[in-house]
Amino acid sequence: LSERTWSQYWNPRSETLPKEDLRRLQLVKLQRLVARAYERSPYHRRLYEQAGVTPDDIRSLDDLRRLPFMTREDWMQCQAERPLFGDLITRPRDEAIRYHLTSGTTGRQPLRVLDSRKDWAWIAEMWCYGFWAFGIRPHDTVFFAFSYGSFIGFWGAHYCCEKLGALVLPSGNMSTENRVKQIVEMGATVVCATPTYALRLAQAAQQLGIDLPRQAKVRRIVVSGEPAGSIPATKKRIEDLWGGKCGDTAGMTEIGTIMIFECEKQPGGTHIIEDHFIEEVLDPDSGEPVGYGERGERVVTSFGRGFIPLLRYRTRDLVCKVPHSRCTCGRTGDIYEGGILGRVDDMKLVRGTNVYPRAVEAIVREFREVEEFQILLTREDGIRDEITVRVELTPGQEAAWQEIERRLGDELAAVHEGLRFNVALAAAGELPRFELKAKRLVDLRDQPRPS
Amino acid sequence: MTPRHEPRPPQDLLGRPLAPEDRELLELYARLHALAARKDLPPAVVMNCRQALVMLWNAAVDLGLMYEEPEID
Repeated sequence: LSERTWSQYWNPRSETLPKEDLRRLQLVKLQRLVARAYERSPYHRRLYEQAGVTPDDIRSLDDLRRLPFMTREDWMQCQAERPLFGDLITRPRDEAIRYHLTSGTTGRQPLRVLDSRKDWAWIAEMWCYGFWAFGIRPHDTVFFAFSYGSFIGFWGAHYCCEKLGALVLPSGNMSTENRVKQIVEMGATVVCATPTYALRLAQAAQQLGIDLPRQAKVRRIVVSGEPAGSIPATKKRIEDLWGGKCGDTAGMTEIGTIMIFECEKQPGGTHIIEDHFIEEVLDPDSGEPVGYGERGERVVTSFGRGFIPLLRYRTRDLVCKVPHSRCTCGRTGDIYEGGILGRVDDMKLVRGTNVYPRAVEAIVREFREVEEFQILLTREDGIRDEITVRVELTPGQEAAWQEIERRLGDELAAVHEGLRFNVALAAAGELPRFELKAKRLVDLRDQPRPS
Repeated sequence: MTPRHEPRPPQDLLGRPLAPEDRELLELYARLHALAARKDLPPAVVMNCRQALVMLWNAAVDLGLMYEEPEID
């Protein structure tokens, strides 16, 4: 390829579209999407008939709110009543080319999704928006620390990188140590992983005696799959350990790809791909919209996946939308400040105080001596809730334990209205490690205790 | 030959006139769509045309030139 000057945007025309035009574009797509869903998906037709809405009723973007919500529970029920895929799908199963499942971190029945040839190409296209915005280019060598299983994870990012012309290193079932060695040996310039696993890889490198910032060539770490990708302390730690910039992305199996990404300006949040999605932020209880700067639940409408129309899907993700002008990159897609802040149902009530796992992680990650942690909720004497943060120290930091125990307890209490946190030391290697979505909160309060 | 689902629009989805490269992209899409729909061509031609078509679909949709599903499989 001859030298050329690339645009800083993957799709300058749409990514910098004035807001008014962006809204008009969304309306045109919405009208056609609703008409297709109504015509092709018995599930959607039933839903809309029950709500007394027809495609002709969608005359403005405000009319989006006339459409009923889709929920995961309805989707699961639909699948259970009409196995395997329910009657959401708009095309015969034999026209699909991919089958994937949700990760099942919520412990419920996984959702099954199908994609057509076009859907699969679109899924990669959305990742292109994000990768390009974070400065990944054809000359890059991209390592995927990803198991390539039925969870959709980085599948789309893999095909995105092939499209960009980058050199792709798929690691499949390699061990963590072998992954580290290949990253160094092949001179990978980009690593894709969950935030937890990016830290795990860096820890493994230290155990192998590899100084990543000095011996590897990684300049970008693209993370996804956990809210931690936008927690400043976690991100800073990843950047320090790797010696490259860490950028957050977020997606979900239900849409098949990412809907938000962090650009190179890193404005403290992630841009929404607004020419392909409508992202509403609503009060999770009332369902009413909240304004810029207020926390609420993400409700997504996707213009991409043709096989399974997704309109007003309640994600349970907690977000805070701010105007695009918060960033200087020129994109007109609004921003989720701090990325995905957690799950609406993540919040735990402990002795009258709200506790969010993300807030706990933000503090724990400030402690360089802590390698891994777990939040344990128990009920003592059948009445008193206790919260314990179990921490595993980085090898060689044992002497600092008493100081860490005291400071960590104090700092956690300080941001939780004085709530007392127990801080306990776990043995080396005792706490679980995660490659996909980390599950660090264990709530045993409703489980019977051994006598 | 004209594809079934994407007659060439004189304007993009926002009603703006098409740039020359927009027209070229849509013409290519239409020609490829027609080729992919033919029944007399070998799998090597049809399947590769379908694969190429969905890539062009992405480009055209990204530019706001069209939105409908390609309906090729």
